[in-house]
Amino acid sequence: MNGEEIRQAFVKFFVSLRVTVVLLVLSMILIFWATLAQVKLGVWGVQEQFFRTFFVLAKIPGTEIPMPAFPGGYFLGGLLLINLLAAHIYRFSFSWKKAGIQLTHFGLILLLVGEMLTSILQEEYQLRLDQDQPRNYSESFRENELAIIDTSDPQFDNVVAIPENLIASRTEIQVPQLPFRVVPRFYVPNASLGRKTPGDERSFGVPDLATQGLGPQISVAPQPVTYKDNERNLPMAYVELIGAEGSIGTWLVSPMLVAPQTFEYGGRSWRLSFRFERAYKPYSLELLELKHDVYPGTQIPKNFSSRVRIETPDGQDDREALIYMNNPLRYGGLTFYQYQMDSVNGFSVLQVVRNPSWPIPYIACGLMGLGLLVQFGLHLVSFARRRAKMSTT
Amino acid sequence: MPFRSAVILILSAVACGSLQTSCRDREVQAYRVPKEAAIPPELAASPTPGPAAGSAQAGALRWQAPATWSEKPATTLRRGSYRLSNEAGEEADFSVIAFPGDAGGLLQNLNRWRGQIGLPPLAEAELGGALEHLDVGSLHMDVVDFGGTVAGKPTRITGAVLPFGGESWFFKLMGPEDLVARAKPEFMAFLNSVEVAP
Repeated sequence: MNGEEIRQAFVKFFVSLRVTVVLLVLSMILIFWATLAQVKLGVWGVQEQFFRTFFVLAKIPGTEIPMPAFPGGYFLGGLLLINLLAAHIYRFSFSWKKAGIQLTHFGLILLLVGEMLTSILQEEYQLRLDQDQPRNYSESFRENELAIIDTSDPQFDNVVAIPENLIASRTEIQVPQLPFRVVPRFYVPNASLGRKTPGDERSFGVPDLATQGLGPQISVAPQPVTYKDNERNLPMAYVELIGAEGSIGTWLVSPMLVAPQTFEYGGRSWRLSFRFERAYKPYSLELLELKHDVYPGTQIPKNFSSRVRIETPDGQDDREALIYMNNPLRYGGLTFYQYQMDSVNGFSVLQVVRNPSWPIPYIACGLMGLGLLVQFGLHLVSFARRRAKMSTT
Repeated sequence: MPFRSAVILILSAVACGSLQTSCRDREVQAYRVPKEAAIPPELAASPTPGPAAGSAQAGALRWQAPATWSEKPATTLRRGSYRLSNEAGEEADFSVIAFPGDAGGLLQNLNRWRGQIGLPPLAEAELGGALEHLDVGSLHMDVVDFGGTVAGKPTRITGAVLPFGGESWFFKLMGPEDLVARAKPEFMAFLNSVEVAP
């Protein structure tokens, strides 16, 4: 087989209608399977394990070894997109008769592209606002980060934020902002912590590596990774910091420990914290008032609303906004939805979403609707004409 | 149709590249932020849902919280969590946490609390003088009251330690000096309401 034949075979495969049908059938099986799995995994878990992955993984029976069990959403969606585009380019010849079909297909292509862009670009965070306490960062629902903070400056904190995936892969980190290397020694994706008791030597398979901070007093019990919507994993790691003169120490870090772990090195004060990933904003939000209205005589919620103040440090923007159900605040490329609220404790939680591709599904559905309308319209007109013609003859 | 074939090949490459990009891992970030002023809570607030609000019942103990205290969602570590506030908008944090065994010992834990408000550690011999003893039914609690500072602000910790059911239970109220001092009677009422859950 020469190069030209390989190219032809490749093209033939990707423009094949048979491939489209197979991919659609596999997609239906995937969706059906994922719908059943949602009972156990929840929406987020299903998205991660079935759709935002190239393969659905399953463990080999009797072992903990994962193996690809079925093509995932990225795999099927990606191939469908290529297949659709390829078929269009290869067979494209515009005619008014087929305009509806082509418009519908274009809508479908846009829908696939939109979903791909959403999975790449969308970010979801939550922003908890306590009354009269301005806040300029939101926190991730799922992701965590190891923050190493130089607290020497009386006004500012210099933060180096290392994402959890680098800790999980035990990647050694050396950045110019830190006078030491960060070496993750051990990582557990979800763990509960307890205080160590004398005589209790249970290790739960976790080595006792901590030499500094709170770690030496704490025992770690790994927990199964959770994918439930209302739970989050709380990872732990042992992280060693190594300076020019050698090891500074090994710390146990976990989002469960918010008590600061501090140390001095190189004439500067440092703080270590494994925390929910933060997204800082160039402005702050302050909760001025929250309302939780119920229908009279009942506990049925009628309205949740948060009146917030948006303020930029340079004073360019200082205004109020009312966020309530179905009326989010759009500001700075982000959308702030009313998410949770506790009027008794005086706090409101906003869901903060950045999705630059949000209009695409609407446009795609519009195009598909229009395409179907055109196609059926054309058929209807030609049918009516034929009928009229038959009745006159 | 070599042109169309080439376009299809390029499209395939672009689509594969885009998907690859979508799976790219996050990177290390460095930035500068203004300092935060907050009382560091002792142990984390994990958003894992806890028991329902109201009269709390956790593990094998239950209690009745003063009406003026606001219950916060319990967490994986906190068996009970409340917020106290005053007219000035100041807030104190009350937590009920249980650890297995003696949790490192009474002295060590009390010194950890003292360290949080800038007080020097107590020596073993000084421990007795720092404790009040409270018997509630069959339960015996050691109660402490420490005044110190956090970031220059007068801060008080009023706490109690109760060994029960193979665990050490820590009841700790921490916050601005005035607020916590005024809430001491409520704190004692809380302790007196603690009982073994049937």
